[in-house]
Amino acid sequence: MRRSAAVIGIGHSDWVADWHRVRAGERPGDCYHYGAVAFRNALKDAGIKRDQIDGLIVGPTTAYERMAEVLHMDVRWGDQADAVLSVLQAVQAIETGAAEVVALVYGNDQRSAGTQYGGPQAMGGDLFLSYVYHAPWGMTSQGALYAMTFRAYAERYGISERDLGHVAVAQRQGSARNPNAIQRKEITLDDYMAARYITEPLRLFDYCLINDGGVALIIAEASIARKLAENPVWIEATGRFDLNRAATSLEPRLTDFYRPAQQHVAQEVFNRAGIGPKDIDVFQVYDSFSVHVPLALEGYGYCGVGEAGKFMSEQGIGLGGALPTNTSGGHLSETYMQGWAHQIECVRQLRGECGDRQVANARRVHYSSDVAGKAVSIIYGSD
Amino acid sequence: MQVDKTPPRIMGLYDAPMWQFLDDDRALRLQCCSDCGTWRYPPGPVCPECLSSASEWKPVSGGGTVISWVMFRKEYLPEYPAPYNVVAVRLDEGPIMISNLVEDPAENVIGRKVTLVVVDMADGVKLPRFKVVE
Repeated sequence: MRRSAAVIGIGHSDWVADWHRVRAGERPGDCYHYGAVAFRNALKDAGIKRDQIDGLIVGPTTAYERMAEVLHMDVRWGDQADAVLSVLQAVQAIETGAAEVVALVYGNDQRSAGTQYGGPQAMGGDLFLSYVYHAPWGMTSQGALYAMTFRAYAERYGISERDLGHVAVAQRQGSARNPNAIQRKEITLDDYMAARYITEPLRLFDYCLINDGGVALIIAEASIARKLAENPVWIEATGRFDLNRAATSLEPRLTDFYRPAQQHVAQEVFNRAGIGPKDIDVFQVYDSFSVHVPLALEGYGYCGVGEAGKFMSEQGIGLGGALPTNTSGGHLSETYMQGWAHQIECVRQLRGECGDRQVANARRVHYSSDVAGKAVSIIYGSD
Repeated sequence: MQVDKTPPRIMGLYDAPMWQFLDDDRALRLQCCSDCGTWRYPPGPVCPECLSSASEWKPVSGGGTVISWVMFRKEYLPEYPAPYNVVAVRLDEGPIMISNLVEDPAENVIGRKVTLVVVDMADGVKLPRFKVVE
């Protein structure tokens, strides 16, 4: 286990209030505004001053240079990365001495700015050709790619649409007990099944929200973290493996469901942390679509291959289940911060700040992300 | 399945020949490595197996197997009113092609054999689609 760096501060915007404002036609701010609000809250949470920070990473939705200008920060190290890679890079910067206290700042005005994740202007097509290449046949939207993935997976292992419904139902248990969640009404499996299909076999509740917001984290070198924080949350292990071969034709999604990448990463992070899946108290999964969850349960060894349907229905992934998963409500029901808010939930569970959705005695939380074949994991731990 | 307008095709440096061959003689030709014989789709600069730049555009058999499929119930593209199907076909030559079945499936079609049908879209595009053969 390495404890070279720890999260000492978290902050986010009020995405519940902003959700209502945006739906009423207002534009509360741009992506830099949301990032700045989150950063201000993270500084307060950490109890430090801005000039104690010497590194800055911003999310992919904002330009690094402009965010640094808005935050009025001159730093000696900086970069731009997604949620999970930001944490990995912050740790690497700290371990190499490039920085000692790193702020990670994300802001996104995707709802009020009308960002499209499918159709003629689908976001991300420049990075992932699969998002746009099959448009002549009507194949667009990342949800449809996951619908295609789920159909092949369900057929191979005999998993039903109702089995998949456990993801949305479990996450609403958490969001109903999370004052920061946008969707707080609990649902049943019958509600899930009664909802309309978007791209069949996926239904409304399998899809993430799209909302505005910002998230910030402050990560500090170990000895500084011990001095500054009463309850540092340690980054105990990280791992990564990418599948890009034949990605445009969907080969890695449809044949192995990204499992080889997750298995590589599982071995890496669990070995480094000196623990196994049984030692994890809370699981947090990047869930742009519910399908991520059963695939991650199998890929990381929480259950056997093809057994996620059984695991979710018999062991349980809700509060009180064998493996509470996405306890905040996740992207499906809390907020769609593209993995960033999941890092906050990891920290809050380990600090014991989760109120009615707190998992008792949570000591280790596993975060997993597999966006477009990039499997990355972090194991967070408390003292 | 709609036959009116075709949403914009991606036309990178290597994409045009496939569509030109479809226009010329309604045959689906894909790149095949001149050195090791590996088929590739989508088109690209080098063979994914041996990295050779040499390739020939060779006609495929048109046969394949459905490995997954979906039904769009929501409209995303103005050219494609919902509902409509999209399939992933494992071509007999190896690559996966994302396409449509000319008739929406009434039941699960995973594992079904399909054959190529080149459809004339109203805007002139010849679009490679498939039909179930057994």
